Formats: sequence, C-alpha cells, structure tokens
Amino acid sequence: MFLFIVRRIFFAMVLLLAVSFFTYMLFAMLPSDPAALTCGKNCKPDVIAANRIRLGYDKSLLEQYWLFLKGIFAGRDYGTGAAAFSCGAPSLGYSFGQHECVTTLIAQTFPVTAYLSIGAFMLWMLIGISTGAIAALNKGKWQDRAASIFTSIGVSLPTFYIGLLVLFSVVIWLRILPFPSYESPFDDFPVFLRTMILPWLVLAVLSAASYTRLTRNGMLEAMNEDFVRLGVAKGLTRRIILRRYVMRQALVPIVTIAGLDFAGLLGGAIITESVFSLPGMGKMSIRAVVESDLPVLVGTTMVAAVFIVIANVLVDIAYGYLDPRVRVK
Amino acid sequence: MTSMFDSVREDGVAPNSAESIVGKSPRELAWARMSRDKVSLFALGVIITYLLVAALAPVICAVLGISPYALDGNALNDYGLPKGAFGGISTEHWLGVEPGTGRDIFARLIYGARASLLVGILATILTTAIGLVIGVVAGYKRGWVDSIIGRFMDVTLAFPSFLLIIALTRPFTQRLESLGVPEGNPARMTYIILVLATFGWVYVARVVRGQTLSLREREFVEAAKASGATSRHIVFKQLLPNLWAPVIVIVSLSLPGYVATESTLSFLGLGLMQPAASWGVMLGDSVRYYRADPTYLFIPGIALVVLVMAFNIVGDAVRDALDPKADRQNLL
Amino acid sequence: MKQRRIIAAVGFALVASVVAAACGGSSGSESEGGTPTKGGTIHILSNGEQIAHLDPQRNYTGDDLAFAGSTMHRTLTSYAYAGGDAGSEIVPDLATDLGTHNEDGTVWSFTLRDGGTFEDGSEITCADVAYGVSRTWASDVITDGPTYASSYIDAGDYPGPYKATAEQQAVYDKAVSCDGKTITFNLKVPVADFNYTTTLLAFSPVPKAADTGEKYDMKPVSSGPYKIESYTIGKSLVLVRNENWSKDSDPIRSANPDSFVYEFGLDEAVMDERMIKDAGDDQFAVSFGIQPENLQTVFEDDAFKDRRVDYYDPFVTYTNLNVKNLSCVEIRKAIYLALDRDALRKAGGGPYTGDFADGYIKPALALDYKKSTLPDGLNADGTANVEAAQAAMTAAEAACPEVAARAKAGLSFYRPATPTWDKAVAIWIDSLGKVGIKLKDEPVEPSVYWPTVMNPETNYDIARGGWAPDWANASTVIPELFSTNGGFNLTRNADDPDYAEFQTKVDAAKKELDRTKQGVMWQELNQFVVDRLWALPGTFTKAQSIWGSKVGNAYQWAPFGAFNYGDLYVKS
Repeated sequence: MFLFIVRRIFFAMVLLLAVSFFTYMLFAMLPSDPAALTCGKNCKPDVIAANRIRLGYDKSLLEQYWLFLKGIFAGRDYGTGAAAFSCGAPSLGYSFGQHECVTTLIAQTFPVTAYLSIGAFMLWMLIGISTGAIAALNKGKWQDRAASIFTSIGVSLPTFYIGLLVLFSVVIWLRILPFPSYESPFDDFPVFLRTMILPWLVLAVLSAASYTRLTRNGMLEAMNEDFVRLGVAKGLTRRIILRRYVMRQALVPIVTIAGLDFAGLLGGAIITESVFSLPGMGKMSIRAVVESDLPVLVGTTMVAAVFIVIANVLVDIAYGYLDPRVRVK
Repeated sequence: MTSMFDSVREDGVAPNSAESIVGKSPRELAWARMSRDKVSLFALGVIITYLLVAALAPVICAVLGISPYALDGNALNDYGLPKGAFGGISTEHWLGVEPGTGRDIFARLIYGARASLLVGILATILTTAIGLVIGVVAGYKRGWVDSIIGRFMDVTLAFPSFLLIIALTRPFTQRLESLGVPEGNPARMTYIILVLATFGWVYVARVVRGQTLSLREREFVEAAKASGATSRHIVFKQLLPNLWAPVIVIVSLSLPGYVATESTLSFLGLGLMQPAASWGVMLGDSVRYYRADPTYLFIPGIALVVLVMAFNIVGDAVRDALDPKADRQNLL
Repeated sequence: MKQRRIIAAVGFALVASVVAAACGGSSGSESEGGTPTKGGTIHILSNGEQIAHLDPQRNYTGDDLAFAGSTMHRTLTSYAYAGGDAGSEIVPDLATDLGTHNEDGTVWSFTLRDGGTFEDGSEITCADVAYGVSRTWASDVITDGPTYASSYIDAGDYPGPYKATAEQQAVYDKAVSCDGKTITFNLKVPVADFNYTTTLLAFSPVPKAADTGEKYDMKPVSSGPYKIESYTIGKSLVLVRNENWSKDSDPIRSANPDSFVYEFGLDEAVMDERMIKDAGDDQFAVSFGIQPENLQTVFEDDAFKDRRVDYYDPFVTYTNLNVKNLSCVEIRKAIYLALDRDALRKAGGGPYTGDFADGYIKPALALDYKKSTLPDGLNADGTANVEAAQAAMTAAEAACPEVAARAKAGLSFYRPATPTWDKAVAIWIDSLGKVGIKLKDEPVEPSVYWPTVMNPETNYDIARGGWAPDWANASTVIPELFSTNGGFNLTRNADDPDYAEFQTKVDAAKKELDRTKQGVMWQELNQFVVDRLWALPGTFTKAQSIWGSKVGNAYQWAPFGAFNYGDLYVKS
C-alpha cells in the first residue's frame, strides 16, 4: 500500500510539471504582448522594450518557463534601482494589471472561493442524492417527473441566467435578502451568511441536477441487482436493503465524481462569483482573461490544476483501500 | 460511473420477461417499451419539432415575412424599448421585438435554435465519436495502450477547462481564421465545437473504457474469440452494440450542456457575434431587461428548458427501455 | 466584464463655460436643500474592478480624477467645489493664488500655503511637488497619465527620477525650481492657461521617500482630508479621515463624511437595481451612469425626481476612419450618409444619448464652438440617406476603385465589447449593407480597447472614440485628436494630401495668445476636419446619474462630468 501511495504521489508531481509546462506554453502563444500591456495608452516602443527586459519576456520561452519554475521555489526579483520590487517564494509571477504578486492575489481571493465551494458542495450532495433517491423509489410517478424537470432546468439553463434571475427575484421582488456584499466570516459573520446563501443555493441546485440523475440511475441499477432480489427473498426489510445494499452501491461512483467536481470548483466558480460579486479566484481569472493578464492566468490555472491532481490522488488512494485489486495493477 | 451500465447484456432478454418467448430483437423490444410511454413519445415529438423548425427557419421566416435581422425602429419608444405590453407582442411580431433594435424575436428565436442546436449537435457527435473510439481502444487493448491513454486523460482532466475555453477563444479563433475558416461566426462556431470536444471526450472515454473492460470478459465475447472472430468483428459487432445505452444517456446530458456553454460564452461576449442570433446571444442580452421587458427575459429561457427537458425524458426512457431488466417487477 | 464607463476611460474633461447652461439645462434636481452635516459613510458603486489609477501622476479618467482629487490628492490649483457654472472656475488649492507668470506665459510661479501636510504629518514642501511632477517623465513606470508636463516643461532629455543621472536631474531641477515655498516652471512654449493645467493630479506632491514606483498605485500618500484604510482590487477601497489634514490649510474641501466605501466589481444590472431600490446602505450610495434599459424606469417615475440627473457631460463621441486605408473622401462620405444615426441613438437610450454632433468641439466650449456645415445630403433627423450614400459610393468607385473594393470586401470595425455596442454593431452592419459596404465586427474588451486601437499594429478601418477637452480650450481637442503627435489620434491621417496644411494651421492656432482669435482658428479647423471626414461626428453626449435618498450635494461637477465625491454629505 505504501509503495502504491508513493507511486501515485510521484506520478502526481510529474503530472503537475506537465500541466505547468503546457499551461505556460499555451498562454505564451497568445498573440498579446505582455510587455505592451504594461504600459498603457500612450505607449512608446522603447518603453515596451524596457519593460520586456524588466519582466524577462525578452528571454526564450524555455528560459522564461525555467524562471517561472524557479520562482515557485526561490522567489523572484523584478527590475533594478528605485523601481525594483520582488515577489517572495512561492512566486507565481507579478501582475501589472493589479500591481501585486500573483501569489498574494491568490492568497487574497482563494478563501472566498473555498467558502463558496464548501458550502455549495455540502448543499448539492444533500439535494442531489435525496432528490435522486426519491425519484428512483418512485420511478415513473410524479416525483420522478418532477425530479426530471428539476434536472432539466439544472443542466440546461446557464448559471448566469439562473443566478441573475434568482438574485433579482429574491432581492427585488420578494425582498427577503439585501444585495450581496461580501464580508469575511471573521469580520462580520451575519453579513457573510446573508451574502453566501444565494450563491451557495444557486451553485448547489445547478450542480445537484446531474447528481440527481446519477443517483436515480445508480439506485435503479442496484435495485435490480440479483443480490437485492436475494435480500428481498431472504425477507430483509426494505429499509435495510436500501441502506445496506442499494445506497452503498449507488454512492461509490458518485462520491468519486463529487471529489473531482469539488476540486474543480476550488479553482474558481467563474460565473457564480461574477454574478454575485464575490471577490474570489474565479472572478479574478475572468478579469485576467479580459485584460490578458498572463501571470494571473498562469497562476490561477496552476492552482486549479493542483487541486484537481490532489483530488485525483486522494480518490485513487481511497480506491486502493476499497479495492485491493487496484494496488497490484 | 461505470456501475450504472454494468447490467447491459448481449441477450437483452431477461429470463422472466414475457416477451422473451416471442423472440423479438432487443431493438424491437426497446421500441415496444418506449412506445408504451406516452410522455416519452411526446418528448420525442418536441425534439423533432425543434429540429424541423431549426432546419426550416429560413423557409418559415420567408412564409411569415419576418427576418431575424431587419430593424424596426417604429416598434420602439423613445427609450428604445418595445411599444405596447408584453414586449411588443403583436400580430406582426408574434413574440414581440428586441429592445434597442426592434428585431423580431420569433425570427431570432428560430434562427437562434439553428445556431445553438448546430453547435450542440456537432460538439456532441465529435465528443462521442472521439470518446467512443479512444474508450473502446483503451478498454479492449489494455496494457501499455491503456496506460498511455489513461495518463493522457489525467492530464486533460487536470486543466480547469472552462477557464481555458474562455482564455483561448480569441487567439484560437484568429488561428482558425488564418487557417482559412471564414472569419467571424463560422470560425467562432468551429472553435466552440472543437474546444468542447477537446475537453469533453474524456468523460465519454472513461465510461466507455470501463464498460468495454467489463464486456470483454463476458461469455459472448469469449465465444466470438474462440470461434476465431477478428478484433474488428469483436469491436464493431460485439462491443459497440452494447455501448449504446450509456452513450445515449451521455448524449442526452451533454447536448444541452453544450448549448448552455455556448450561451455562457455568448454572455461573456465570446460566443456567436451580432447580428447573428443564438439562444446564448438572446439569453445574455435579455437578462439586462429584467425590469424593463420581462417577456423578453423568459422567451429564450423557456425555449431552452423545454428542449432540454425533452432530451432528458427521452434519454431516460431510452436508457430504461434498453435495460434488459427494465420489465422486472420492482420489488422495493 | 462590460463597461459603460468606456466613454470616461479616455482622457477627461474640463469645460469652462457651464456645460449644463450652454446646452439647454438639465432635467434633474441637484439634491439641494438642507445644510451639510458631518459624519456617516458615502458608498460608491462601481462596475470596474478597481480605480484605473490612484497614483496621482497616472490618474487621467474624469470620474477618478474627481474622486481622488476631491478626497486625497491636492494640487496647486483646483476647480471650485460647486455645481453648474461655478464649478468650472479655478481656485487656489495648495498654492496661495492662481499663479503668476511672465509676459509671454513661459515662466509660471506658485507659492505654497502654510500648514499643508501629508497623511504622516510631514509638511508638503516645494520639493515634494517638484518630485511629483518629475515622475511624469518616467513613462515606463508611470503610464497612462497626461503628458502635458513633459511636453510643456523644458527639461531636455530628462528620463524621470528613477533613471536620471546627476546632470539630467540638475537640468530638471533648473526647469522646475524651488525657492523656499515658491515653485517655478520654465516652459518651452507659451501657455496662457497653465494654471488650468496644474489642476491635473499629475501636479500633486509625492514624498520622494514614500515613492514605490509601480506599486505606488495601490497606496499613494494622501495630502487631502482622507487616506486609504484598505484597498482590495475587485472588492473595495475604503477611505477614512486623515487626522493630519487641517481645514485651515485647505479652504476648498468640505470633508463632511467620516469615510468613503468604493465597492468594485458589481454587475451593471445589479448596480441599477440597488440604486432604484434605495434600501439600507444604498441610501448613502452614488453610482456612475444608468443602463439605457433602465432609463424609462428612472425618468418616467416622479419617485426619483429628487435623486436623478440628466445632463450634458463634457464628451463628444465620433467614429475614427482609418484615412490610410480609406484614402478617399467619397467613401468616407458614403459611410456617413448611409449610417442610420437615428437607430443608433435609439439603441443607446434615445434622447438620453445626447444630440447629433456637428463636429468634435462641444457647444460648451463657447469661444471655440461654431456650428459646422455637414456634408450635403446628411439627414438632420439622423436617418440614413441611402440615395445620397449610393451616389457617394458610385463617385468613390470612379475616384478610388481599390478603396471601394476594400469597402465591399469588408472593413474591420473595432468597438468595445459592451451590450449596448453589440446592438449598435447590428445597426452599423445593416445600414452600410444597404450601399454594399460590408463590416467585419471586431469587439474588444472595454478595459483593453484603447491600448488595442492605439497600437499602430492594429489595422482597423473604423474605430469608435470619445473625447472631452482637458480644459476649456480646443487646444486640448483638435490637436489631440487629429495631429500626428496628438495623444489620441486614431485617424492615421499623416499621409492625407491635406495633412500638411492642417498641421500648419494647428501650429499657428496653438501659438496665438489672443484667446478670441484663437477660438476662431479652432472653429475653422473643426470645419476643416468635418469637410474631410477623418472622423465621423457622432453625439454631443448626455449622461444620467442616480443617487441614494440620503446623499446630499450630489451635483455634477462640470469639468469632470462626474459627482464631486469629496463634497457629498450624508443627510441626517
């Protein structure tokens, strides 16, 4: 088992290296000149040239990538003289759009994304699995149809549309909540809750939709398995069969996918954060796209990738425990 | 993910099923089950209607004398908002007019269906085709082929796909244009379809691979092998027919998902461009008129939900119908 | 992601004669009545993710100048804190008077008041002002700011304080010299209204020891009544009282609220809804602009009559034609005549968009404005004149067949990617299509629109623009927009056969010290450009704003076309 874990972690490192390389090269291919973006409206060519050197964009792509990697472990200095500055390790670069080291920016925005993700995740598992179970137990009846409608709305209507509709309906029509205005939970917990409740709900309901479907189908599948029929034949109660056999079998794949989805969310829920004005990583990265702020883009992509890779390793290890055959393979 | 499809069997006939005595083919059986379900049939009708209307949009507009592009300043008041109640619904403009320009919403809706469905269908076909091929190869060949494909899937999955889709829109669209794809919307549509397939195939491939892994151990494949069947025969004649059910479920989920992604991109200004119409362009535009023109807000949304619901119902029905155990009595 | 503030993102505004009065009055109230009270917090709702630049030498956006200038950064001279006409007068701020100058206006001196301090309590010295101004030259670090200082002041090849050698610094110190509390600027050219130039925040003091270069943008040192408590991009900027500021040394700032909270990153629709709803803290809020789709709600309902305004801002919008690509006037005329300006106006919010412009100088610049003669056949009501446009197109095909062919193949049309422009583009495409001219739409994210079109490598055929004078002289309009060395020339007109004649006339006008004569010269130059249609006149724009029911003094500050944020107060 130990060897298996070591192997998975080693592979995860290699994977991250590959992702960082691809990310860096992919964004370097963008036609925008990062140096030109540093110098605003009335820009002269010599200024662009000077900034290109200051930021290291005059070097070859491979060398730039090497400096980027080195920065993660050793930090990085920019420029000389009075206008010099540095970003300490782990440095993911410096954003000219936001006048700040990318690592600092991510440290500022990540907590918001994390609060959003955790709350939404718990809600959506609850909603998704319970509606899915109800639909499966009432297959073909109105509950099943209602779940199907819910699923349809969830998978079809884009987040921005539902998000704004909910925001306007709840806040303007019904006047239940004030307009969201983010505060850290440590500064003002009631305001934090009031702000997060809508984004949590919207994100949860939209993501829950596909879990409803997975649960429904997984349970129907399980209910038809022979061991369930055997259980019925043996005279076990419905409750015991459902809990011991059906739910257990239906949930294993769902938990796996949920782990990966959750990790993906930690990289930033771009649209939800934008609609509800939450200053998280997703909102920062969309802004980086708009302004071609390459260092921020590379940084957020990398952080998002780290979460996905970690989740993958955890899922693999969990599988290793659950199913010994995986280990030998 | 794989467990939900594990029970698909070659014989397709459950021992205690009444029909098994008559000896119908699995396809006939599935159709027989589906046609009993009136709701699913209706949903199927809805899908076909949508497809027909989308395909015939130019004809319909010509017959009705409307156009998705024609401006109509007379239908607007001084603020640029539609004259009259309910977003300017009238005999001339069945679903009202677009604020700001006075373009006919009905015409834009059916032209929009054309663009949105085209993106959704092509992306789904491409995704499914790639995922199916790679998944079957990985599952059937196993060994080093499987592990290379597996690592490749890991790398693909490790990228935050939505962020990349957004970030790469402009440069890749330009690249497509320089490669000779017509500028503007054709290039943007091509990009959206390609990029959705680039990130989407993995999900299909994962399911198909798992399914193939379990199928290749089944007796009927063993039997085919023993009787000297070629790999080609086994893949095409033995494995693929058994992969339909999971694939249909994926398709019924992913097609609407792709339509939604296209609309999100349009909302961000990265999807189809004006003056073209797509549901995404309409949804993104209409959200601003929450207060001023709520009718406009609901029209594209309802059109989209109805279609997706139809897809879901049909997808579920097909899945259930193809399930050999579907006619077993539910004991719980 | 989408910004209405795209208009304000360019240059900015100083208009001497009263904007509102000259253009026929504004239809909103200015929330007068009641005496200002101290205390409370003013909220500012913003669609932007940050203030473009808080570094005073880099701040060049009308709205941001009004905000930072009235709260944090003092300048030698300032615009008066008043609505209407009075707001366009200049008054001494850090200086004791409006400056003195020699006979030909090439040497200007200002004497600093006693008692002015930075937020750390240290005294504002002449050296701090000179250092602040010197940063303008460091154009690799101090980007986006106005360049008047470096183009007026005679400092040789001075590269800014970060890179200057001892000799270069000595040259600068001679050009901008200090004698006790008196600062003297030695100019290359005569500038009769240099004390208007010094209202720009580029002329505010920066303590050399606190200058962090590029990073100064995030935490500039305050010389005004408020200082930064916290500033998080994408979230908020909080200003609190600067305890070291004293009213005695600053006669113009009222400093009523205890704090300001600038909320960033709000969806435009959400901002409008919050302002319309007027609940909780939003009663103490102001927001910049109203979306066209909500104008009817706000202006047709008397409930809003005390907290809305519709006014002429200092801007003129126009459409730049790339004269290099569209090198014959017939094709430019065809485009203008074919354009359905009436439909465009409707898409932007009807009469609230503004009036059809007849040139590039707004009537508010009374001395420099004269109604110009527009091309024959242009419909006064803004509708397209398809026959006349077709005739111009036929003429173009005879005069310059390659250019006509280019127009038929497709002209690239650069514009900001905003919802309003998405609609407008459809109208452009439809209008020009009627005379066979095709357009290729090139939407550009608002935040990078200007850098994109200003880049000489961007080969647009058509690019929209908007500009407001930097102060009440068309010398900040015509040369800026149409001279090759102008800061905002998007017409690429250097090779036009008439360009040399234009430039000679511009040089003559700039040198003219008789303001009335100079005004006539600008009028003629305005007509000169209209005749050649290097840019198509668009709109003398109007703007609308709304504020919370408990905000006092919410007048529009004419020079900037924005609230005078520092003068707002919370009604008790």
